[in-house]
Parts: sequence; C-alpha cells; structure tokens
Amino acid sequence: MPAKYHIHVRRVPPRFSPLAKNTIIDWAEGCLRCARCVKEQCPVDAYRKRGFDPTQFVDTIDEICRDCYRCVQGCPRELIFKAANPQYSQIGDEYWTPEILATTWYQAESGKIPVSGAGYGGRFSGPGFDSIWTDMSEIVRPTRDGIHGREYISTSVDLGRKPMFLTFNEQGELDWPSPPVLELPLPILLAEPSLGANPGHLQEIITQAAFDLGTLAILSRNRLVPVPAEALGLVMPSYTAGSLDLKDPLLAQVRSLEILDHPGVLEQVERVKKRYPELIISIKVPADGRVVARVAELTAAGAEVIHIFASEHARGLGDYQDLHLKDIIRRCHLKLVEDKLRDTVTLLVSGGLALAEHVAKAIICGADAIIADLPLLLALECRLCRQCAKKGDCPVQIDVLTVKRGAQRMVNLIGAWNNQLLEILGAMGMREVRRLRGEVGRAMFMEDLEKEIFAPLFANREGELTKREPT
Amino acid sequence: MSMEVVVFACQQAVPEPDALKNLWHEREVRLRVLPEPCSSKVEAFQLLRTLATPVDLVWVIGCEEQFCRYNEGSHRAGGRLTYTKKYLGEIGLEPARVGRSVLTPGNVSALAGIVAEIKDRIHALGASPLRQAPKAAARRSAK
Repeated sequence: MPAKYHIHVRRVPPRFSPLAKNTIIDWAEGCLRCARCVKEQCPVDAYRKRGFDPTQFVDTIDEICRDCYRCVQGCPRELIFKAANPQYSQIGDEYWTPEILATTWYQAESGKIPVSGAGYGGRFSGPGFDSIWTDMSEIVRPTRDGIHGREYISTSVDLGRKPMFLTFNEQGELDWPSPPVLELPLPILLAEPSLGANPGHLQEIITQAAFDLGTLAILSRNRLVPVPAEALGLVMPSYTAGSLDLKDPLLAQVRSLEILDHPGVLEQVERVKKRYPELIISIKVPADGRVVARVAELTAAGAEVIHIFASEHARGLGDYQDLHLKDIIRRCHLKLVEDKLRDTVTLLVSGGLALAEHVAKAIICGADAIIADLPLLLALECRLCRQCAKKGDCPVQIDVLTVKRGAQRMVNLIGAWNNQLLEILGAMGMREVRRLRGEVGRAMFMEDLEKEIFAPLFANREGELTKREPT
Repeated sequence: MSMEVVVFACQQAVPEPDALKNLWHEREVRLRVLPEPCSSKVEAFQLLRTLATPVDLVWVIGCEEQFCRYNEGSHRAGGRLTYTKKYLGEIGLEPARVGRSVLTPGNVSALAGIVAEIKDRIHALGASPLRQAPKAAARRSAK
C-alpha cells in the first residue's frame, strides 16, 4: 500500500489585520464608570488587547471580537454597538464576495476547515455551484474517515491518455508502449492567476507550494523565472499559440506542458510527442460556444489532457457567457460519455473555482481535476483591489512577501480544501476521488428539482394567483 | 516627499468612497478613504495614531447631526474632534492637522466643496513635522 498522502499545514499569521465582517462602535463619552465594566468581562479580552494597525489605520478590536454581543447587551448606558463593517463589504466583487475572501484568508492562515460553530446562516440555494447539493447520506456511518486516518481515502488522479484496450503480441508483451501517465496525489493543480503584483515572484511562490504539495504548477512560459532543478518535474509550462519552439531546452526537463488551442494544435502536439514521447501535453480550450464539439474532436484525435478554462466568475466565454462552468463541464463530460471516449482523456477545469466545495462539485459534474488560480493569490492576503492590474502599489505588499511564507499559506489553503474533499468523500462513503467523477447520482441539482418536483406542486401558470393543483 | 491624507468617511454621508477619489486629481498628495459605519466609529486615539504614522492630514466626514443614523453619533464625533485638536495643541503639534466636515447624507454635490477644503488645508500646512522626526532623532543620536 502506498504511503498515505498528507499535507503538512502550519499556522502562518497574516501580515495585515484581516478585515472583520462587523465593527464595534464604542461611545466612551457618558460612561457611568460601573464597578464591573462590560469591557472587562469580554470573553476574548478584546478591549484590553485592542491596538492600532498603522498600515491600514484601523482599530484591531474587530479582528479579536468574536461577535458574542455580550458587551453590547450588557452596557447599562447602551454605549456599545456593533455594525456591519463597510470596509469589509467593499472588498472583492459580486462573485468573489467578502465571505469567500475571509474564508480563504482563514484557511490560508490556519490550514483548518472553516467552521463557525454557529450553524449555517446562508441561503438555501443559489446560482452556480450553490445550486448543487452533495449527497451526504453515509454521514451517519463513520467508516470512511479520511482526515483522522482510520481508513484511507485516496485523492490521487491520473493525468494522461488511457487506452481503451490493450493488444499483445505472441510473446505476451504489449504491442505498443503504454502512454505516459502522471499521477498526482490530489485533484488540484496550481496555476498563476491573471492578477498579482510582481508575477515573477508569484511564480516562485506557486512553484514552491506545488513542490511541497507534490502537484503541478502551470506557469506561463513567456515570463517563467528560473526554477530549482528539483521542482522542474512539477512545472507545467504554458505556451500560447505559436510560441512553442521545439528547441526550447525546458522541454527536455519538464514532464508536462500546456498549449493554447489553435487550428494547428494537433499537428503541433504530434511534433512535440515525436521528439519528447514521455511528455504529457495538455490542450487549453476556451469554454465558449464551440467547447463541447472541440473537446470531443480533440479527444477523438488522441488528446491526452484537455484544460477547459472559463471566466474568473465561473462563466463561459463568448457565446457561452451566460452558462455556468458546471453546466459546461457536464455538457463536455456527457458528450464524451456519448462518444464512448470519456475514460481516454483527462479533463481539467479552471475559472471561478473559489471554495473547497467547488472542487468536489466540479468533479461531480465531470472534471478529473481542477486548477486553482485566483484563490492562490487570495491566500497571500490579496484584497482583490486590482491595483496591480493598473500598475499601482499592492496594499498588502505581495511583491515583497517571502517565498517560504507565501508557499506555506498556499499549502495551508490547499490542505484545508483537501480535508474538506475527504470529508465529502467520507460522508458519501467513497474511498477514492476518481470514483466521484461524473457521479451526478451523488448530488442534487436545484434546477432539476424545481422542474421535476417543485414546479408541479407550487408553480403558477402566468396570471394565475392560486396554487396549481397537480393533474 | 509626497504627502498623504487619510479620510474617515461615514458610509451614510459618503455612500460611494470612490466619488471622493474621483474628485481628488492631486499627484503629489496621496488620498486614502476609509469607509466607516458612522463617523463616531473613529475614536480620538485612532486619529492621533493615524497622525503619528505619520500622515499629513486626517479628515473625518460625517452626517449633519439631525440626519445621523445613530442619533448621537455625529454629535459625538464632533466632540472627539474638538478633544483631539485641543490635545494636539497641548503637545505642541498643529491642531489643524485634523479636520471634519458634515453633509446631508448622499449629497454628492457637497463633496466637491469638502475636497477643495481638504486640498486647501493640506497645501497650507505642508508635510507633517513628524516626517522629519526620524532624521532629527538620528542627528541627535549621532551627536
């Protein structure tokens, strides 16, 4: 049995005070000077520990406060309030919400699963990945315990072309050499995000994190910084259409590469494979209106790995901009199933994968593995202010962050994601993540439920005021 | 040496902090706008510590007292500003390095006047003497 894969998380405190969701308004004027002030009874001693963050000009009390409201309720003159923090609500955007950013920061700091202990206060259902509910029916039977190690749950995935059948010669040997396969210990690859101050430095951090995790780092070949020899095998250089030169010395040192899809990509792949047969080549395909047909076409032509990339808001591109990534993955997956080619190719997906649950849900929809990009930047305390895109100063100084510190925060984030994947697999009674791929029977889709169950019961015809009776 | 102005802005008074930045147009003076739930969120120690970072000017924008969402918040913020100015005078620093404006919530047209007032103030005051302090301390220690 192979050694159990384990991600070594270690607490890395933030360099900047993480913005709190709520803030304390403390009106000291008019204080009665009670013998036992509510501030002295704070369970986390926030009023004594509070300080001042000179980089952000904020009172650090909000970072310490656990929102128990003891002081708010206890002050006899009602001089303490809690209010929503506008600085918190203004970070991120409509997709990368403040909650996603705060959750990511917590995981990158601690490596732990974010559990509030105060129940789930979110919505019942929502758009995109929130419309998928995973099946946890086995949660009552704690036999699959991946995190605590009582039973091993494998998160390994294979990258490469898998033959549909084997043929042997008279000596009982394979007629042709088996295609190269790269086994990764977890279904998450790292990639450099489109944003980030000092991209070269960011590449160094991502490479180190990929090395620590044993997964691949997809890095742009055009601006690739020197990579330590021991980490070269885990770097997947990404080439734009037409930028790949067979004389590139890097091709002899890496185990995989990525090429952006273009009309002559298959011939280009053939030329590379002829010279470097052990290289695993991924073709990066945009998630636009042609993606389903293109994925089927490339797979039929022998593609090993296909990377479908969507927008950073998990939406398709071009004609598919109104379609969510989950639907695009499902369409591609089902098309390959229909063509009886699904098992031959590895499907990677990227774009808008922001939370641990998105990993499991993307795999349920039909991906083999996912690519994390923007969350890696968030792990470095990024506020998504996008100043770096305008050549402005990074408010959290990612450009001067040490490689060791940054890599450990990324490792912590992926460690927390991996533990949540293990929890989901354990609750489903599954022993390996490969079996989760395309397993839609393990999930419920809100759109389907609305159509099949809720619509006949509750939906009204247009202009009809009362509930429609089932016919 | 470039200067820096920090503005603590009540979110009722200034719902869009970017509106202030869009009116700024000063290359030599950096503006940072921090939205707050109420101007009374900003305490005297926060104003003083912000000035000590050092920042050249600290400004608080709140609502007119009759429009304050927290009823007394804007009134209390005014009291804190008075206290902070008095304190700065006592320790020998310029009280004018902190300032305050009030406006009717959401009155965007009033923001242009406030921005002009902030600009006039920072240009009149120049760089904070605290910016020179580390050099002066180094000179003293060299002697």
